[in-house]
Amino acid sequence: MTTFKPQATAPLTSVRATGMDRRAFITTTAAGLGAVALGAPTRARAQGRKEISFASASFFGSETFGDLVKTFNESQDRITVKYLELPPPSSSTEVYQRLVQLLARRNGTPDVFSQDAIWIAGFAAAGWALPLDEFLDADARSQYFTGTLNACTWDNKVTALPWFMDTGMMYYRKDLVEKHNAKVPEQWADMVALGQAAVKAGDCEFGYIWQGKQAEVLVCNAVELIASNNGAILADDGRSSRIGEPEAIAAIKFLYDSMNSYGISPKDVLSWDEEPSRQPFTAGKSIFTRNWSYVWPIAQDPAASIIVGKVGASPLPHFPGGKSASCLGGYQLGLNANTKERDASWEFMSWLSAPEQQRRIALNFGLGPSRPALFDDAELNQKQPFMATLRPVFTNATPRPVTPEYAKVTLALQSGISKALVSGEVEKEMLALATQLNALVR
Amino acid sequence: MGRVEVSTRRRPALPRWIWPWLLLLPTFMSLGAVAFWPILEGLRLSFTNTSLISGSTDYVGLSNYVGLMSDGRFWNAWVHTVWFTVISTGLETLIGLGMALILCERFRCRGLIRAAMLVPWAMPTVVTSKMFAWLFDGQNGVINWVLLNSGIIQSNINWYGDPQTAMATIIIADVWKTAPFMALLLLTGLQSIPTSLTEAARMDGARGWMIFWTIRLPLLLPTLLIAGLFRALDAFRIFDLVYVLTGGGPADSTETLSTLAYKELFSTLEFGYGTTVTTAMFITEALLAVILCLWLVHTIRRVT
Repeated sequence: MTTFKPQATAPLTSVRATGMDRRAFITTTAAGLGAVALGAPTRARAQGRKEISFASASFFGSETFGDLVKTFNESQDRITVKYLELPPPSSSTEVYQRLVQLLARRNGTPDVFSQDAIWIAGFAAAGWALPLDEFLDADARSQYFTGTLNACTWDNKVTALPWFMDTGMMYYRKDLVEKHNAKVPEQWADMVALGQAAVKAGDCEFGYIWQGKQAEVLVCNAVELIASNNGAILADDGRSSRIGEPEAIAAIKFLYDSMNSYGISPKDVLSWDEEPSRQPFTAGKSIFTRNWSYVWPIAQDPAASIIVGKVGASPLPHFPGGKSASCLGGYQLGLNANTKERDASWEFMSWLSAPEQQRRIALNFGLGPSRPALFDDAELNQKQPFMATLRPVFTNATPRPVTPEYAKVTLALQSGISKALVSGEVEKEMLALATQLNALVR
Repeated sequence: MGRVEVSTRRRPALPRWIWPWLLLLPTFMSLGAVAFWPILEGLRLSFTNTSLISGSTDYVGLSNYVGLMSDGRFWNAWVHTVWFTVISTGLETLIGLGMALILCERFRCRGLIRAAMLVPWAMPTVVTSKMFAWLFDGQNGVINWVLLNSGIIQSNINWYGDPQTAMATIIIADVWKTAPFMALLLLTGLQSIPTSLTEAARMDGARGWMIFWTIRLPLLLPTLLIAGLFRALDAFRIFDLVYVLTGGGPADSTETLSTLAYKELFSTLEFGYGTTVTTAMFITEALLAVILCLWLVHTIRRVT
């Protein structure tokens, strides 16, 4: 049984149930401090070993990252890693704050950290993350998904080591696609046609459900649409805006039209993030939806879904002349620029990202590997059959704008795109947004 | 002689007048630490370009404030916050007054109803928010279902996804939650009005409305204004409902000063500009408080 968790889905903003998260934050911080305190006696025992620390958002599966660290500590006798547990990824704003506070001290703690894809450029530009180019030759790089490596690169330097990932993808109703004698759509226009046909035939209420709430997830939806039309939000160097270009405008217009002229999406998507949009899909109300990998196990769970066994997942469609793009999420590894144990830290992080550990994370946490070769693994495909579906999706992984100003860029994007989707004056809003972004990233 | 020495040693070396101040010192210190220092520190930060990301902490004079004055997002949030404060406080006062008048009368199970009335107010706001998210859900919400089936609307209303209705829905949620609190405050005010006055008026032939307008309302006015002041200052900080329900959207239509400050402070970690927003918020709130207080004093003088 797959155990995907909603991870890295709404990296900066949508933190639900603040009170709970705060509490979780406090307890995990306390637990982390407790762990550090308890770790003290082992220092005496482990004399002669180099000591490094590892901070990460806490993911849970059939084990925790603490178990991974334990395995590493037991596997050799030169390095001891202390694990500093941060809040869970659902509280990613808190994780971000904690990491920034730790790294800004520039005292080398934590030596190794895991970071959401969208923070990489900011940490690199602040000089907190060590460029890893000297450790990574061309051969080592070729073993990771290109899109993930791109997200790990700032200013032509690789400053993060790919770890595990998640991306947006299209879920579809196998039974309804078959009923209409159609193929799984590869272009947006085909999806619209099929969606309209299914709605007209009364098979479902909606053709396509996406996430339009003024939140991080809206930016993810926009990245996918724009990239699938050969456009981009920022230029490759991250220093000028491309959202005012016709490709981007046409892509956002598509989202507006999906509600207003194609009639395949309810206007309610403007207030939906992941879960509100997942519910109608697993209640059989829509033929297509866009979401993250966490939806798969829910859709296969008879207690939560009436479409068990009728769901397929595939890369998102694209515009004519473009190619499918899926917004990249997930946590990647960083090496603190102020570390005092550079080589020991690199040894630990490359161990974490090695095929054996990525495989273990895929099996026990349900988190997608960043190494394409792992998708050929027989045991993995047998125990997590959904993983096989993810390979073509992950191949199209597209990073969100890579810029140290991402936190400001995303707020501007959320506001500007939301305005365009509400008013329908897409071109005007996108041009205004372009001016705004140019001022932010220049 | 030895005796005298002992007594001088026992006598406090400090002058008498200093003792009250010394005893008050812990209070001043704790108040200073938790109230005044954060305010002053916030004020200081607002004159800097402090950012956790860039690590800068330089004084930039008034440039944050100049930027704020020309920042469309700030004024947009400012207008929404003032609008929210005025409408929700107004509605809560009216509805609370109605509830208080009913609860003031004698009837069966009055104690029980008075207690039950406070449940919405006692509920954590995040829970209220989630509840209203479901009630006003555009697809499966009870509110849409009732309105559709009673023929008031022809098609589902997209409460949170439409800038026309999103703020109104948040106001409704806030009114539901806080009107009972207003009712409680006003009820205490109503009960402090001597019954002899209303009884005398009744003897003279005055009816319900007459008693209300000429006796109860004027005597209740000071309580009403104090309750309104508390409520307005509280409403001005509206954060949790917006944060959970809409995140400020769609199209910035529910962005308030608190959510904007949160985004500046905690998402972008721009403490300089973020505290400028909160300082502007503090100034607006102080102005609001001064106006209401002056009105309050004026009214109390007139009534008494």
